[in-house]
Amino acid sequence: MSASPFLAPLFVEARKLNRSLAALLAVAAPSLIAIFLFFMVLRGKAPMPWGMWTMNAAGVWAFFMLPMSVTALTALAAHMEHGPKSWDHLRALPLPRWRLYAAKVVCVLAVVAVMSAAVLAMTWGAVTLAAAIKPRLTPTGPFELALYAGLFGRIYLAAVLMIAIQLWVALRYASFVPALAVGIGGTFFSVVATSAKQGVFFPWQMPVNMLATEAWRVQTALGLGLGLGMVVMVGALAHLSRREVL
Amino acid sequence: MPAAIETRGLTRCFKRHLAVDSVSMTVPDRAVYGFLGRNGAGKTTTLKMLLGLIRPSEGSALVCGVDIGRDRIGAARKVGALLEAHGFYGNLSGRENLDLTRSLLGLAKSEIDRVLEVVEMTEHARRRVSDYSLGMRQRLGLARAMLGAPPVLVLDEPTNGLDPDGIADMRRFLRALPERTGATVLLSSHLLGEIEQTATHVGILSHGKLVLEGELGRLKADLAPEIALQTDDAARATALARARGFDVLPSDDGLVARLKPGEDARTASASLNRALIEADIAVFAIGARSRSLEGIYREVSPPAPTAATAKPRPEFA
Repeated sequence: MSASPFLAPLFVEARKLNRSLAALLAVAAPSLIAIFLFFMVLRGKAPMPWGMWTMNAAGVWAFFMLPMSVTALTALAAHMEHGPKSWDHLRALPLPRWRLYAAKVVCVLAVVAVMSAAVLAMTWGAVTLAAAIKPRLTPTGPFELALYAGLFGRIYLAAVLMIAIQLWVALRYASFVPALAVGIGGTFFSVVATSAKQGVFFPWQMPVNMLATEAWRVQTALGLGLGLGMVVMVGALAHLSRREVL
Repeated sequence: MPAAIETRGLTRCFKRHLAVDSVSMTVPDRAVYGFLGRNGAGKTTTLKMLLGLIRPSEGSALVCGVDIGRDRIGAARKVGALLEAHGFYGNLSGRENLDLTRSLLGLAKSEIDRVLEVVEMTEHARRRVSDYSLGMRQRLGLARAMLGAPPVLVLDEPTNGLDPDGIADMRRFLRALPERTGATVLLSSHLLGEIEQTATHVGILSHGKLVLEGELGRLKADLAPEIALQTDDAARATALARARGFDVLPSDDGLVARLKPGEDARTASASLNRALIEADIAVFAIGARSRSLEGIYREVSPPAPTAATAKPRPEFA
């Protein structure tokens, strides 16, 4: 049985990713945050509310681990074709080229979504495990899943622009160096200019702005991250499918 | 019936460099067309235009009558390609690699078994591609090109990197391909010997221009034969033969005297032999032979002027 022409590239991409190191990356990044939180809880002297642990996890994720994971994941997804020089074979096939690139976009977005969910799930797991070891540190208050899922969802949506830029660069250049340089550079400026008001317009800081207390920052970063992200994604698809790979 | 491949004034510039210069070629249906040229002559650029990977600066190309510029996808349905960079995923098995392309082409699963059988790779199909030899990768590449049984196969240097046994296998395989599958094969190579033994038609590309094209047998038959000779004094033998009106060139194993069109090769050989002996030049071997593809190639495809100064050996085998 063959998949429909629209879904075939997506299934093919998923099969390639499934046999790559993407799965390891998808587990490793959230695990590191969970391990960090686990020891943070154990170091505590008094119980803290669930909200604080979740915000901690969301902060580390949005601030540093998400940009770095996106850098690594997009480079990995692009290098699956750059490495064995598969582009000529793929681009010579009788199907619209944009579908090949769109399949990569969907897969990367899906993996980042899974990682975001994994961060939340592993946060719960790590804190619960630490509390089981030291019951007196059991977090106070309820674990408000809908609230926290909403926060991680907004972080994810605000990251779309960053993902689009990273994936575009990674697919455009056969060497992984430009993609890594952009990712590391973006994360660096995001870290050193944390408190800059202009950060709300900086793609690598848009996710972390979802933790801001000022509503305009959240709305601006979310609107730009998602809206511009979609525009850049469409632009990237158009550019990549039209350009000649010499 | 339209030609399997036809180009009209196909041209491609890279900034100021004219890589392919107004190439008009015709690959007849069910031919094995040897596309010859030195490295950098423009073969790969032409093939990339035929596959729709790069756009021509001018001109057009048709595959089975479908204009690639107007309907790339329609034309791509008619072509299977084996490119120099195979693009296999080393961590997947041969069968899995084929299955990815099969899925993208929307073909039935049974198609994988069919093409594996054609290239005699069924027993190795479950091994990871990273464990394959170069010859096995080439055969897997051919299998992938044949998925969906396209009427045209474009093969870029399919014998590159193969050992002599692999080359012989590939040659046998390619020769039989039109009969076994009904496909037309466009075969790019710089190995003249390979093309001479495999192709039914040739096109020679030199500095971006198609300088010769036609049915190989006819091209060779149309040219006057030549006399190959080995003597103990090549310089004197050359001077003597030239004095008798022959066009003499050095060859790998002695000298070659070109005959004028219509001249009888046997009579000319006997006369030259007699003259050499009378001039006290020892003749080790002399005999008429038909022109080789290498001879034709040398005649129509001179090296680039800068390369000629350094006198590099052309990449013949």
